Order: sequence, then C-alpha cells, then structure tokens
Amino acid sequence: MKEIELYEPRIVAFFCHWCSYGAADLAGVSRMEYPASFRAVRIPCTGRMSPKFILHALRQGADGIWVSGCHPGDCHYGTGNYHSRRRLELLKNMLDYIGIEEGRIHFSWISSAEAEKFQQMAIRVVEAVRGLGPNTRLVKSVCSNCIPPVPTCDTMHECYEPLEEIPGAPRPNGSCCGGNGL
Amino acid sequence: MMKTRTEAIRAAARTLLEEGRVDAVIGYVQGTIPLRAQPFVAYTPEECDRFIWSSFCGGNLASIASGRTDRVAVVAQGCVSRNLNGLVHENRIQRENLYIIGVPCIGMLDQRKVEAKLFGRNIEFLKRDPEEDLGEIVVGGCNAMGECYEEVIKRRDVKRDNCYTCMHRNPVGADTVVVEPVSETAGGDINAVATPWMRFDADRRWEEFAKNFEDCIRCYACRDVCPLCYCTTCFVDESNPQWCGKTQDSADVQTFHILRAFHCAGRCTDCGACESACPQGIKMRRLTSMLEKDVRTLWGHEPGMDSTTKPPLSTYRPDDPEDHFK
Amino acid sequence: MNIELLPLTGVRSVEGEAGDFTVHLTQAPRYIDPEKCIACGECSRKCPSKVSNDFNAGLDKRKAVHILYDQTVPLKYAIDAEHCIYLQKGKCGNCAKVCPADAVNFADTPREFSVRVGSVVLAPGIRTFDPSAFDSYAYSRIPDVITSLEYERLLSASGPCQGHVLRPSDGTEPKRIAWLQCVGSRGNNKCDNDYCSNVCCMYALKQSLVTADHAHGEGHDQAIFFMDVRAHNKSFEQYYNQAMDKGVRILRARPHSFLPGEENRGVRVGYVNEAGEPLSEDFDMVVLSVGLEAPAEAKQLAETFDIKLDHWNFALTDPFDPVATSRKGVYVCGGFQEPKDIPRSVMEASAAASAATAGLTKGRGTRTAEREVPAAVDVLGEPPRIGVFVCSCGINISSVIDVQDVADYARTLPGVVHVENNMFSCSQDTQVAIAEVIRKHRLNRVVVAACTPRTHEPLFRETLEAAGLNKYLFAMANIRNHGSWVHATDPKGATRKARDQVRMAVASARHLAPLKEVTLGVTPSALVVGGGVAGMTAALGIAEQGFAVHLVERETELGGNARMLRVTQGRFETAPYLASLEKAVRGHAGITLHAGTTVADVEGFVGNFVTRLDSGTELRHGAIVLATGGVGLKPEGMYRYGEHPRIMTHQQIDAGFMDGSVDPKALQSVVFIQCVGSREPGRPYCSRVCCTHTVESALHIKRTNPDARVVVLYRDMRTYGQRELLYKEAREAGVIFSRFSLDHRPVVDVVNGTITVTFRDHVLQQDLTVEADLLGLASAIVAPDVNGLAQMVKATLSDEGWYVEAHSKLRPVDFVTDGMFMAGLGHYPKPLEESVTQARAAVSRVTTVLSRTEMTLAGTVATINKAKCVGCAVCWNVCPYNAISPDEKGFAEVNEALCKGCGLCAAACRSGAPDLRGFTTSDIMAQVSAMLG
Repeated sequence: MKEIELYEPRIVAFFCHWCSYGAADLAGVSRMEYPASFRAVRIPCTGRMSPKFILHALRQGADGIWVSGCHPGDCHYGTGNYHSRRRLELLKNMLDYIGIEEGRIHFSWISSAEAEKFQQMAIRVVEAVRGLGPNTRLVKSVCSNCIPPVPTCDTMHECYEPLEEIPGAPRPNGSCCGGNGL
Repeated sequence: MMKTRTEAIRAAARTLLEEGRVDAVIGYVQGTIPLRAQPFVAYTPEECDRFIWSSFCGGNLASIASGRTDRVAVVAQGCVSRNLNGLVHENRIQRENLYIIGVPCIGMLDQRKVEAKLFGRNIEFLKRDPEEDLGEIVVGGCNAMGECYEEVIKRRDVKRDNCYTCMHRNPVGADTVVVEPVSETAGGDINAVATPWMRFDADRRWEEFAKNFEDCIRCYACRDVCPLCYCTTCFVDESNPQWCGKTQDSADVQTFHILRAFHCAGRCTDCGACESACPQGIKMRRLTSMLEKDVRTLWGHEPGMDSTTKPPLSTYRPDDPEDHFK
Repeated sequence: MNIELLPLTGVRSVEGEAGDFTVHLTQAPRYIDPEKCIACGECSRKCPSKVSNDFNAGLDKRKAVHILYDQTVPLKYAIDAEHCIYLQKGKCGNCAKVCPADAVNFADTPREFSVRVGSVVLAPGIRTFDPSAFDSYAYSRIPDVITSLEYERLLSASGPCQGHVLRPSDGTEPKRIAWLQCVGSRGNNKCDNDYCSNVCCMYALKQSLVTADHAHGEGHDQAIFFMDVRAHNKSFEQYYNQAMDKGVRILRARPHSFLPGEENRGVRVGYVNEAGEPLSEDFDMVVLSVGLEAPAEAKQLAETFDIKLDHWNFALTDPFDPVATSRKGVYVCGGFQEPKDIPRSVMEASAAASAATAGLTKGRGTRTAEREVPAAVDVLGEPPRIGVFVCSCGINISSVIDVQDVADYARTLPGVVHVENNMFSCSQDTQVAIAEVIRKHRLNRVVVAACTPRTHEPLFRETLEAAGLNKYLFAMANIRNHGSWVHATDPKGATRKARDQVRMAVASARHLAPLKEVTLGVTPSALVVGGGVAGMTAALGIAEQGFAVHLVERETELGGNARMLRVTQGRFETAPYLASLEKAVRGHAGITLHAGTTVADVEGFVGNFVTRLDSGTELRHGAIVLATGGVGLKPEGMYRYGEHPRIMTHQQIDAGFMDGSVDPKALQSVVFIQCVGSREPGRPYCSRVCCTHTVESALHIKRTNPDARVVVLYRDMRTYGQRELLYKEAREAGVIFSRFSLDHRPVVDVVNGTITVTFRDHVLQQDLTVEADLLGLASAIVAPDVNGLAQMVKATLSDEGWYVEAHSKLRPVDFVTDGMFMAGLGHYPKPLEESVTQARAAVSRVTTVLSRTEMTLAGTVATINKAKCVGCAVCWNVCPYNAISPDEKGFAEVNEALCKGCGLCAAACRSGAPDLRGFTTSDIMAQVSAMLG
C-alpha cells in the first residue's frame, strides 16, 4: 500500500538560545515526540528578532513562523524580550490586519525547563499551520522578474561585511549572497 | 489662501529673519497649479512675503527641516510640529536651532476630492479659502471655449482623510502660535475609522490589501515626502543581504509598504503627506493609521507630544499587553 | 577549567591549619565512566529497577541508573548501587548491554585520595522539616496534606506531573488549596524549631500566586493561614500585594484541627478567625509550609572540621564576620549558616569566596591552569571550504535518521569539500581526528550535525582552535535533541529534517567570519563609594586581596548609619566593631581615603574606569563598588513627630541610649509604633530592620528596668530568621505586642506635655489609651538621592531609588554594567550583618575583575556600519548595557567591552546599521532561505 503523504507545512522557528532552544533540547532528552515540520534558527535573544526575518520567511514561502523566547522578566540580557514583545505584538497585529491568516504566526514564552510546554506548543503550531494549508500571501514568486538563480559565493569576502580593522578589504558585491536565494 | 494665517506667518517669519534669530524660514509658497502649495526656504526678510497658508499645504515641512544644521524656523501645524519634536528626539534637528512657527490648523483639503466634485472641469483658481473649519471654498476656471464656472464646495466634504480624525490640530511645543488655537474636533469611533479592514475576514483583508497597493509604481514619493524616512540606505536598497527586491513583483511592493509603515510606527503623526504625494492615489494610511491606533491603544503613546519621551519601540513596560504570546 | 567537580565524594578527615589543609576524601563509585557517558539515557530507559525519586520528594520513581534531574551538572548518569540488580544480585546488566558508549563499569570501586588546600568553604545546605511525627499537622494521617516541597515538585514543569497539580488521594486536580505557615518554625510548644525559617512566607505566596495564575474555570481558591506575613526583602511586599490582588486569601489564624474529608479525600480545616469565631472550611488539599533545618550531616561535618555549631546545629558565626566559622580557614555559606533564600545564599557564597581567598593572595594563580591555543591561520580571501561531520551518536541518531543519506546529501551542498560520519563526534579521539582533517583539507568552516550547541559548541570550538582555525567558523545542526530523539516514529521526516538542518548549517557557515576577541588591560584597583560599614568592609576586603582601593566618603567621618546603631542581633555592640573596622581601614596601606569629597564624573568601562572627584583628584581603577547607604526617614507629619522631644526615631533613641540622655531606668511607659512610612501606598516596601530594632530596644529597656511598661504596635512582626528568638524573649520579658491595621492606625496626642497613644486592641476589639514617656517611631529606611551618581555610572535605580541588580536572585551584587557592584543599604534596607556579607560578596566580585591582567572580550558583539547610521538614538535607547553611544559626529558606536551580544540594536534599527557578529542578519536570513529553498 502506498503511504499517503500528509501535507507537511514548512515552518520557520526562531528560538532564543537561553530558553526555548533549551526547552527543545530538554524535550529531546525526555523523548517527547512532536511533528518534524519546523526547523529552528537559534538566535541569542528574541530581542534579536528583526521584523525583517518574519517578512523574509514569508517571502521565501514559509507556511508558518514561530518565535519563542524567555518569559518576561527572565531575559538573559535583562530587557530583550520586553522590547521584542512590543515589536512582535505590533507586527503580528499588522500582519493580521493585512490578511495573513491567524494561525500562521505564533509567539510563545517557554523557559528551558518547560519541555512539555514546548512539545504542546510545537504540536499546536504545526496543527494550526497544517490546517491553513500552504501560504500564498506575501510570497515572492520565483524568478517572476528574473533575478538570477541562487548565487554562489566565490570568495569569503562576499559573504560577510569585512571587519572594520581590515584596511583595503574589498567591499561585498551586491549581487552575491543577496537576491532571492541569498 | 487663508488671509489671516498667511499674514501672521509672513510677519513672524520676517521678524525672525530681521532680528537674526534664525538663518532661514521654511514655509509654503503658492504652487504652480492652484490647489498646490510648495515648500520654500526664505533666507531674507523680503522673501517672507511669498509665504502663504492655504487649505492645500499638504506636504510636511519637517522633512525639509530634517538634517539641517543652520538655525531654522518652520511653519508647522499640529502634525508637523509633532514630527519636529520627534526629529529632535531622533537627533535630526537640534532643538536650540529650531523655531516652530505654530499654525492652528482647520484641516487640509484633498485636491483629488475637489477635482472629483468638478467632473473633469479645469481648475484655474481658488477664489475663496475661508479660515473656518465648516466654511466653503470657491474654485473655478474656464475651458478652451472661454466658458467659465465657479463652484462652491463645503470644506467638510473634501478634507483629506487624515484630517477628519486629527486629534492635535493645534501645534505642540511651538515657539510662537500665529492665531488663536482652534478647537480639537476629532470625535466618533476613530479607532474603527483607522482600521477599515478590520470588519472583514482574513481572505477579504488580504484582497483589500493587495488591491490597495497594486498600482504602486515604486516612485518612492511617499518615502521622499515623509519626515520619518531619512535613512541613508532604505531597507529596499540594502545589498547585503538584498532580501527585498526592487521589482514590481507584488511581494516586493507589499514588503516595501509593510516595512516602511512599520518603521514609522510610534513616530507617525498621521500628517497624510504620503497620500497627498502619491501620484497613484494609493492609501498608505491604511497601514500607518492602523499602527497609529495600535500604538495609542496598546501603549498609550501619541508620537511627538514632546521631544524627550522615548518612542514606543525604544522602550517598554514590564506589564505591556501580550495578547499574541502563549 | 580551574574548578574540579568531585561528585559522590565525602570528607574523611582534615589535617593542617588555615593556609595549608590536607583534606582526605573518598569518592564513591559511579559505575559509569563520566568520560565516556554521553547522557543519552538509554541505560535508564532499559533499567528494570525502579526506585522512589528523592528529587521529586518521593512522588514518582526513577531508575537505579539515573541522573538526579535534567539540568544536573555534570550531565552524566550514575548507578545507585543499593538498588542495582546487577550489583546486588549479579544478574541483569541491561544498562551495560544497551550503552552505546561502553560507559558502564560494574567493577568501579571507591577512590580514596587527598587534596591540599588553603581554605575550606562548607556549603552543605539545609533540609526541610519533617512533619510526619506531629499528629497536629495530620501529615501522616491525611493523604491530601502534603509538604510545600512536595507541592513545589507538583507545580514544577519538570516535576512528576509536568506542572499539572494532582492531589494524592484520588489523582484529581485540587481547586481549593490551603497553605499552613510556620510548620516546623516559630514553634514554642512542640519539638519543632523556635526560629523563623525565613523563606516560607515568600514561597507560599509564590506557590499560591502561580497556582492562581494557572487556575482556569470556577471554584478555585487559594488560602494562606499565617501568623505574620514576612515579606521583608526587596520587592517582596509588592509581591505580597500582588498575590492579594489576584485573590489569594491571607487568613490570620492558626488552624486547630485537620480532619479528613469524605472517603479520606480533601481536608476539613478548623480555625478561629480574627473576630474570634470558630470556623471550618473544606479544602481539596492542604500544603504545609515546612521550615528549614540544619542538614543531617551537620554534626558529623562539625566534628570532622572541628567547628562549633549553634543550638540548632547551624554553623556558629558572628554577625560582624558572618561567613567565618569558629575555625580559622574554614568558612560557611548558604542554609548551613542560617536558613535563607537564594539571593542571600548567592551573596554569602561570594562572601565566603572572598573570605576564603583573602589569606591566599600570595599563591594566586600558582595552582591554576590556562589553555594554550595556537595562533589561528588567516583564512581571509579563501573560498569556503566546509567540512561536515555527521554524528551517529552511537545509535542515538542513526537508529532514527539515515545518517549515511544525510552525509551523502551534505556532499552536494555548495562549498562542502569534506564529509564524514562519526560514531561519536564528541569523543576524545574523534576530536583529534577532526583537528587532523581540518589541517589536512585546509577546511575553513566546520559543520557538525549532532546534538545541541548549548552543550557541545564549546567543545567543538576548542577543537577548531586546536587545529589553528578561528573558533567562530563553526556551525551545528542539532539532529539529535531536535531530531532523532523527538521524531523516533517518523524516521523519514526526521531524515528530511536532518538534511534541511545540515543545509541550513552549511548556509550559515558560509556567512561566518573569523571573529577577533579583543583583549583589554585591567587597572588593578577599585573605587569604593561610601564609607559606611559596607563601604569600609568592601574596601578592606579588596585591599586584603592585594589591590589598591580608593575609598570615597562624602562626610569627613567614616561609619555611616552604623554610628547611630547601638547593637545588632540584640546583643552585639556596634561601637567597638566599628572602631576596629575604621582603624583597620585607616591603617591599611592599600587604601587611599578620600573623605569629605564626592564623585564628580566617571568615564570608561570594566577594567578601565577614570573617575574625577570634586576635590579635583583623578583616579584610575578597574572596578567600582557603590555603597552609598540609606537614610532613616524623618517622619515629619506622622504621629506628632517633632511636637515632643520624646517622640523619637530609632536612630535618636539609640543615640540617647548611648549618650545616656535616654535612661531605661527612668522610663515607665514606652510605646513603639511600627511601619512608620513603610508598607504604605506611597512607599510600598518593608524596611526590614525596624521590627528587630524595636525588639532590641524594647528588650534593652526591659532588661534594665523590668517594671517599665513597653507596648509595641505593629502590623506584622518581621523578626525573620533567628531574630525570632529576640521577639520571643521580648514577649517573655513582658513586652506587650498589639497589632493594628491600616484602617485603625494608632492615634498620638500631645496634651500638656504628655504623650498619649490610642490604639485598638485586636483581642478586646476596643480602643485603649496609654500615656507614654517615650514614643519610638520605627520609621522607614529610604534611599538617598543618588540620581547624579547613578547617571554617571549608568546604573539603574528602582522606583524607590534602590540600585537595581543584574538579576535579583542570581546576581544580587552586580550591576548590569560589568565591573560595577553594590553593597549595603543602597541595594535595599538590611541589617548590619547582611551589609557585611554583601560587602564581602562585592569584594569577591571585584576580585574576579582585578585578578586578571587582561580581559578577553567575546567576539560576538555588535558592530555599526556608520555609512548606514543616521544617529537616531534607537540603538542606544534599547541597549541593556549602555554599550552604544554617539560618536563625535553623532553616529552610533559600540563599546565592545560593554556589549554582551544580545542583538537588540540590530533588531531595533530601521536603517540596518548595527549587525551582530556571530548572528548576522545575512547569516540568519541565509538559514531561512536555505530551509525554504
């Protein structure tokens, strides 16, 4: 019998190194199962969450986004999550307002000890996004106006801004590491 | 042209230059077409006689003042004065170099709305421009056949959208105010007005959003006129990484408008210059007014009421609302 | 690297003396080789022997081979020999069979060895009171009466029921819960303890508040039966108010009976309320807020180390030297010194560290090791040459994920030049092999697909360094904790995910740059601001550690508030101590005293501060201690203060006692009023020291003149810890304590030169009036105005004006800004002995900075692209560390010495000017693109 493939949403998760990433680790230690539908990007703090990252993920075709950080008051850096809370709260309201469906974007506070909350939230996020189906909104159409395909970096210089201390280092070339595929 | 305001502005500007208290005065002069006013920088007392104030001063002079290092006076109604305060906080202007010539404002009119009332007839003059909120303007003109007309239009019917819900018509923190303050008029459910798509479901909201911006030609007039858009490199022009394309692809256009509006959140005074400047008639305020409302209701912040309070995205309170966080 | 952890180890005996002890140790066998154990937990899963789990207060089971809890350090399993079937009966051995790392060693034996040390710190902790022997608490009789420790575990997300509280009798969710305070504390009748355990009021409030927060639906109730609510420390009173706002009921009553509910479920609690009415209420569960006791091994420990214990088997200490035991060179901290909460324990631990090292400064650095790292090769200009190492983790990963497929896939990714699959990527021999491969293939990026970077990134980074590669050129794909372990039933999905994770890590690696770790010199001296007890103690301690100290005091005299203090802890006279402390400070060659001047300006950062004094002197120093103290509130406008010379504050009374102008023998009637200016809406905190101070003064009067009538009007008596004994002694001496509430404040009148006080007696429920020939007002301690200083050093002040710590529990002495520390009342009101402790803790914290000749800063710091910066202030507004400031042109500039790499600036900036090294925007976006690409 042929396996029926369930629609697997593609969800980008941004986890704070100090808490939710650790909760995911602990969920692993405790062998708590959840669907393999999201991939985590580790960030130092939810305060690092630029709205760009969420827009970029949607543009790249993410079906869902999940940002998770430390409970208010528990930020490793003191106030990072307070600032991100304002920024993300407002961004979410805005994306709701323009019609990004409720259920695509999720935010949570999960401490490094809350493996079970992590598992439950993971299931909840995946279920919500799966229920919505693939995202079509704000998605950049592939090569609609012929940006060159994914560029490759020929030399290291083009992959990062040279440190200020290095005199005469070549500036990054705009066409490399940028564009659709980075 | 509004006579009382115009004369008071000219007098104030002249005095400032004559007494050497500022190096320049930024105000409006009559534009090349009747329902337009254009920014002008006067450096001599004589030039001040060109200044006007009318129902069509719909730009934002804070943008002209932003980044200047000389001592300038700026003619400013409520919204612009608040932008100036904000720009002082953001170090775009030194407060000691700034002189605000405050103009209590009865609301600017929308050129497009006036034109719509005239069914394509050519506008050649603005004959009357009263200084009462509920007054009537008179516009008129002649066609090629020499047939002339005059039309009386109620101000209230052709105000710019943002001016209907304006809550700060009087200048804030002005150094001088040229006429008596006007009453603050905003009433009704301004929050609902700020978020007209709220009543729709997500699909319809997306439809409205997509439609709203589909005519954008990315001329960046909105960005150029906005006093808040002064980045040396706008995010759409970033190259490392170049994540938001500069194309007409709908996602690129939408991303530009979303993030531009978001960057204005907590700083935007709803001056309406973006919409006035847009050649395509796009309603950017759909996004900015929604954010303005959120900033006000979530964190009780109104931008530019002084030049010391941190903008809401530069600060926090431990008990901020967190409805979206589980 | 310079801390050797010796788990499972006991002390056999000690020889020698301070500065040169030989400690003989025995390490019990672990039966698991910690070098080999990868903490995968296979052994525990297959172990058939179930044992009651002490860590969860016996509420669930663990296996014979186990870890104590998930975050245990070191994260290595151990076999509990007593319950191991193989070790007891020679059968089973499941763990050895399933261990993928071959770490089980049943032949392990106890190891006896000795260490030579200069000092010893004892921190054996506490144990909780066991209520099972007391019938009155019904703990043994009624299943739904549990201890607070059991409740704590039930409430814990990592506890036996993952935080969903279920009651023992029938496993249902309890809705109505009562807490009973002072179980095993403040007891007078039974064999329980007569001191106050310090922490129970706050943990009960916390438990009730957390419970209230989690309660959904109808019928929930949290009630606390208490005697006095002792919410006495920083922001505790506000927390107490918050609990009441949330609906937690605070009942001032001591229940007289606990009866089982129907079918032995739930508890019927009988008590008499404040109005004297007998009541009975049904609760689903009762939590006994058990007190803290000296650890079981206290006596044995005392014998081994030859130290004296007090009446309750806590280590005997002196309030003026709170971490020193009776034996020179042996120090104590934490609960073994006296029951206390986390912040005070942390403070005391630092204090013990400074005390223990003060005599050892000559040997500093002689027994420590430093890692040698070869110079990194220059990889700039090279195209990415990425090596990918896919770990099988024994079978932990490979049993679910097709690691071969993942490895094959990795070969197809751009920039990848070498791929291999390892059995254990983290094992010592693989580390050597990886370093070899890096050199051989000239790899300039390394990706390891294995477990979590939270535990293993440092290890692999060391390997990169050893191979001569900048350690930041490393990325990890977490395919175990976030992969095989959580997708065991979805091998295909897990493999697909692993491929994505590797692709993301490779994409990330391509964006990694070698980061420099800047080193800065350190000026080996400290500035101490404030010459009170805290400031002097800190100055002396730092000087004893061998560093120069500049002590700045605004006044011309030293001593601060302590000059006005007669005794501490009821019997220890302050004046002689103060005199000897001052003499030591003045006499120490390392201390430069700057009296009668203040700080005019401070610049710089950790290791390199420059301070200018009002006197014009410029000081260079590497660390700062702010010990600016507190001020006794002058209670103007309250209780007729100022209208009669005998309406006095504590400071005035103490001064009177000391100079003889207040003579206890001449007093016939004395009234004290508590909480004068504290715990009021405008000043909502508890000033902590006033209850004890009142009791001390009351006792002084009673001891001298037993016939004097002394009345104390209070709201809650907060004689916390062993101060409770003073309170008890005062009651026994005949001091009358009468409680008032805010709506029935005492009324003071002065008529014809006579002071009268009218108050409502809460037992008689009627107003009483007494004449007083001395009225003591226990007025609040308030923060002095230090706004100017705080601004200079960019320190944060709370609403009430106290210095704000970097973390209220875990870093109670540090400011957020590195290199700056606090001590004494400027942090919060506290008794003298706690000021001494905090000052000694500050010494320890300062030493961590000054003992280094140079500091290495992390490479993961923010940078500003000035071409993009518009100087709008967003970044320096949001930076938690004040690490960003405008340069001379108004553009943002990062001080790398202050930056901690949170990335707030990068997210807040609209112009994209800041970026965070190690987590660059390009890197993060590349990972997103790679995932979705």
